[in-house]
Amino acid sequence: MKKLAIGLLILVLFQWLGELGVRVFKLPIPGALLGMIFLLILLSVNKSLLPWLETASSQLIRYIALLFVPITTGAFFLGPTISNDMPTILAVLAIATVLAQWFMAIIIKSVNAADD
Amino acid sequence: MIEMAVQQWQLISGTSWPLMLTISGFAVCFWFYQRCGQRSLLHPLLIATPLIYLAMRLIELDFSTYYQGNGVLNWLLGPATVALAVPLSHQLRQLPKLFKPLTAALLLGGLFATFINLLLIKLFGLSDTILLSLAAKSVTSPIAIGLTQQIGGLASLLAVATMVTGLIGIVVARSLFRMTNIDDDRWQGVILGVTAHAIGTAKAFETSPRCGAFATLGMGINGIWTSLFLPASIGLFIR
Repeated sequence: MKKLAIGLLILVLFQWLGELGVRVFKLPIPGALLGMIFLLILLSVNKSLLPWLETASSQLIRYIALLFVPITTGAFFLGPTISNDMPTILAVLAIATVLAQWFMAIIIKSVNAADD
Repeated sequence: MIEMAVQQWQLISGTSWPLMLTISGFAVCFWFYQRCGQRSLLHPLLIATPLIYLAMRLIELDFSTYYQGNGVLNWLLGPATVALAVPLSHQLRQLPKLFKPLTAALLLGGLFATFINLLLIKLFGLSDTILLSLAAKSVTSPIAIGLTQQIGGLASLLAVATMVTGLIGIVVARSLFRMTNIDDDRWQGVILGVTAHAIGTAKAFETSPRCGAFATLGMGINGIWTSLFLPASIGLFIR
């Protein structure tokens, strides 16, 4: 419990640092993402914070789908202009995802072949 | 006295019902998902949201009240994004060994995944609002939601698109790996992480811990990379 609380506190602190950084340097990325980059840099130089973060981060990531429930429920309230386009949207998503996987497979094959 | 108690009750019920609805709905679906051997089509997000929608219709709860009542869950998306640094930091030592192929796969793969999506949206003649809402669909949701709000898309539409992308990604991946002869579990992980984000990463962990670790790496780097190039290039696609 103590580790969870301290871990969450560290995560919030880094989010705040990220939001501060985004505002000060006028960066076009979400503040929490910059906070993640800050924490990643710190953890790659010094691992002493890691034991404190393990519990909070693994619990947050394990139940992360719960955090998307309110926003995803909003999809039922998007209104007719967008829900009429839903079949097209789903088709685009399916084609784009398959093409992206196929493209990555080709890249990986050719880079590995060039290395051998 | 009684009047005050009634007022208090209304205040509490007005703010905590939506949260209870979300958590209990999700808990039931999560339990069901695990009972049924974690099949992709029974993903808790996929069954919990229509269930909650029906419950909202039943108790006549409107979306803005519901959404505000769930403020704490939305707020937690920030710390959850920062938390991704922890699994990522465990994978960073894998980087030097595979630096060249991994960089090529991540940077080119991330660019292609986003641009093919934007081009298809244009090709099918969908509106700019939809384009802005779907642009970040292959990025992991906590990052994608922040990114979508930044470029001016609808977060709810993005959330659905991300979920659908992840599900399609894991359904197609297996036969794609067979057809293209990608049999190394590390590369399978990278592809799943970049194209199917968190849902793909969860699937990758079912193959092997190493596959899951590379999926985490792919998902994390792709999130950072897309956040850098997408806001700068989205202007090319809108009128």
